[in-house]
Amino acid sequence: MLFFSYFKELVGKEVTVELKNDLAIRGTLHSVDQYLNIKLENTRVVDQDKYPHMLSVRNCFIRGSVVRYVQLPPDGVDIDILHDATRREARGA
Amino acid sequence: MSSWAGPEDVFLSTSLASYLDKKLLVLLRDGRKLLGILRSFDQFANAVLEGACERVIVGDLYCDIHLGLYVIRGENVVLIGELDLERQELPTHMICVSEAEIRRAQKAERDATDLKGSMRKRMEFLDLD
Repeated sequence: MLFFSYFKELVGKEVTVELKNDLAIRGTLHSVDQYLNIKLENTRVVDQDKYPHMLSVRNCFIRGSVVRYVQLPPDGVDIDILHDATRREARGA
Repeated sequence: MSSWAGPEDVFLSTSLASYLDKKLLVLLRDGRKLLGILRSFDQFANAVLEGACERVIVGDLYCDIHLGLYVIRGENVVLIGELDLERQELPTHMICVSEAEIRRAQKAERDATDLKGSMRKRMEFLDLD
């Protein structure tokens, strides 16, 4: 559940989600669930010309299983906190 | 469970409940684009679309092919997007054509990529790149 908790901390931040089909979508992280499904708001596709059908999509739901990367804002990670949380999780605490 | 969340938190959760009865674009793993009104869903993103149609796009041509009531198995779903009715769905330079015409364009595109693939294969001995 570490990454679920982690993504919950990022709600409201601007992220870019790159999918396994190479489609990259930038938007405000609205919510995330235990499957790491993601909802984005105010989305725009990074390569709009290549994906004209996405023109009028402003809000979307992305299935967790198709996500390749989530690109975070530079201040998105507090390494120390993540490090501690990882060790706690590994200990099973 | 988030999927069955009450009406108060539906708009805060990742559940698809906030998309119910809205016109959506569903992107599938094979690249198909379905449009329709979401009538039901579950935690796997299985979804029921009413009045579904497939939007076939080839270059600047497009065609909406009517399908009817569709149940989509969740594993095939890539993305479900809410269509903003205020905005135009496609760039203005795109042209709506008949189903026969889009199928022709689709076949021409497929043949072109096949040809490119086979040419490349034949030239592989040259060790390109």
